[in-house]
Amino acid sequence: MNGELSPRMKVVVYGLMSVLLIPFVFPTWWMVTSSIKPISDIFAFPPEIVPSRLDLSTYAKVFELQPFAQQYWNSAYIAAVVTVGTMLFSSMAGYAFARIRFPFANTLFMIVLLGLLIPSEVTIVPLFRIFLSWGMVNTHWPLILVPIFGAPSVFATFVMRQYFIALPVELEEAARVDGLGRFKIFRTIALPLARPALGAVGIFTFLHSWNLYLEPIVFLSSPEKFTLPQALTQFTDAYGGAMWNIQLAAATMTAIPVLIVFIVAQKQFIEGLAHTGLKG
Amino acid sequence: MAPVKLANVRKSFGAVEIIQGVDVDIVDGEFLVLVGPSGCGKSTLLRMIAGLESISSGEIAIGDRVVNDLEPKFRDIAMVFQNYALYPHMTVERNMGFSLEHRGHSKSEIAERVQWAAQILDLAKLLDRYPRQLSGGQRQRVAMGRAIVRNPQVFLFDEPLSNLDAKLRVVMRAEIKSLHQRLGVTTVYVTHDQVEAMTMADRIVVMNGGKVEQIGTPLELYDRPANRFVAGFIGSPAMNFLPGTITRAGFEAGGVTLPLPGPIAERDGQDAVYGIRPEHLALDGEGLEAEVLLVEPMGSETQVTLRLAGQQMIAVFRERISARPGETIRLRPDVAAAHLFDAASGARLN
Ligand SMILES: Nc1ncnc2c1ncn2[C@@H]1O[C@H](COP(=O)(O)OP(=O)(O)OP(=O)(O)O)[C@@H](O)[C@H]1O
Ligand SMILES: [Mg+2]
Repeated sequence: MNGELSPRMKVVVYGLMSVLLIPFVFPTWWMVTSSIKPISDIFAFPPEIVPSRLDLSTYAKVFELQPFAQQYWNSAYIAAVVTVGTMLFSSMAGYAFARIRFPFANTLFMIVLLGLLIPSEVTIVPLFRIFLSWGMVNTHWPLILVPIFGAPSVFATFVMRQYFIALPVELEEAARVDGLGRFKIFRTIALPLARPALGAVGIFTFLHSWNLYLEPIVFLSSPEKFTLPQALTQFTDAYGGAMWNIQLAAATMTAIPVLIVFIVAQKQFIEGLAHTGLKG
Repeated sequence: MAPVKLANVRKSFGAVEIIQGVDVDIVDGEFLVLVGPSGCGKSTLLRMIAGLESISSGEIAIGDRVVNDLEPKFRDIAMVFQNYALYPHMTVERNMGFSLEHRGHSKSEIAERVQWAAQILDLAKLLDRYPRQLSGGQRQRVAMGRAIVRNPQVFLFDEPLSNLDAKLRVVMRAEIKSLHQRLGVTTVYVTHDQVEAMTMADRIVVMNGGKVEQIGTPLELYDRPANRFVAGFIGSPAMNFLPGTITRAGFEAGGVTLPLPGPIAERDGQDAVYGIRPEHLALDGEGLEAEVLLVEPMGSETQVTLRLAGQQMIAVFRERISARPGETIRLRPDVAAAHLFDAASGARLN
């Protein structure tokens, strides 16, 4: 955009953006406020935008009803391991596909990309049987191994490869003349320059793992092993009805890291994806 | 410092032979310029010396070592790239010291070498900057600094000035030249700019289509081009060419007869091309008639575009010319400075 908007245009543009924001902000607002309302107020009509009566006991109940701290830790450490692992694998694989000439490199890359086309619902049963035979059912291993070697990592590899291809080859040639071997070039030249892409990969991998739902409910059966998305479904009364305010309190706590990640890293995220040509 | 020897060097990309057998002996400490039109394989040849491109056949030796299968880092060369290839995420200081870091030099030694190079190239105040914070000329100097800190056997430059504006190019040209005089390191310098080649080189290698057309000092190439290609490539404005036939009477072309250089009577009847440089056409009342097309006074000299023997030509005069377009002037070519080339092969005849 060039030039400043006129004051009148500014009002119009900002007004329009505020209206467009409502569908995005309202659910979050509703989730947070409902988590501190008595359950009877949640479905009041018209809805209460600002809660009139506060009930903060919901947050304590979250921890009473389930080993929520343990579950929170499960989600956190699994997401951390998956993120670091994926960044490691995808950056190296992406670099290899971008820069190292080896037989059938392109064919191999195509085959790897095909992994993205298979929905996880298709592979979950075979995976279950494999992990069962390895004695890994009801452990966290599937939640770590499947993303690191599955679709999220493939996507990450694609993003990294595109970024590495776009880096000027001369930089690496200069490094070769300067006396660096392939791995050092990767570590000291290519990887530092690929930080925006790596950041984007880190963010979406973290979010993907944090939000993983199908795999936990298939592979995990004991509550102290649960991850958060799965735990959220467990706040029900004796008849299976949802305890809305408690569930929303748990959901609020679950959403916090996601919000933090987005606020801190949104610029990085968009830059990283923009470079791959995936976004406008 | 070391001599560099290229012996029948060839390079193919797939089925296409890009370098078709190049032989050059580069003397220790020499400033050799590779020049030629775009796409003739200059960069490829330079990159083969650097070790960035494999050698399909032939031999490259640096000093007394054949380096065909050596990685760049073992060749003891330093290269300056056209776009400088400075590491964007490192400061100037780190950029310059980077190669030393990876060759096991101590911190103090690196700092000392970098300081030394920064002093020579007037970069001392810029050491903490990042490449994006530098002007084109400064980047260019950092790229050279990165090359000289290592004290390599050979410097390789690939069109290092082509991203600079005309004025800065002249300045940097002199700077590179004086750097060479100071350090005396064998240098191979690629350019497609024949003025750069003429002004900087000890010797020039003129390349065309993957082959060497001629090797020689700038003035050798200027005075005695081995073929029509070199004749047309070296010199600005370019040499005038006049196709015609050699006869006993002289060189006949477009209804006029020009005097022939040297005894070539045995070539009677041969088709040839007569070459004469713009400054070797002199005003002479007895000379050949030429129609003036354009007069461009430059102050120190005057450039005149004219039609002589049906062919458009350029003449350069030290004196001021009062002729106007459409008028006729009389010119006499300096026979001693004329060139004759074979019409078919382009090879020099005299
Ligand atoms: N990796 C490659 N694969 C295939 N062909 C190549 C490759 N590198 C260069 N070529 C071809 O080799 C020829 C010579 O290229 P080169 O870059 O050496 O030319 P140059 O003389 O440096 O030209 P310029 O003055 O434009 O830089 C060109 O026709 C180019 O297309
Ligand atoms: Mg080139």
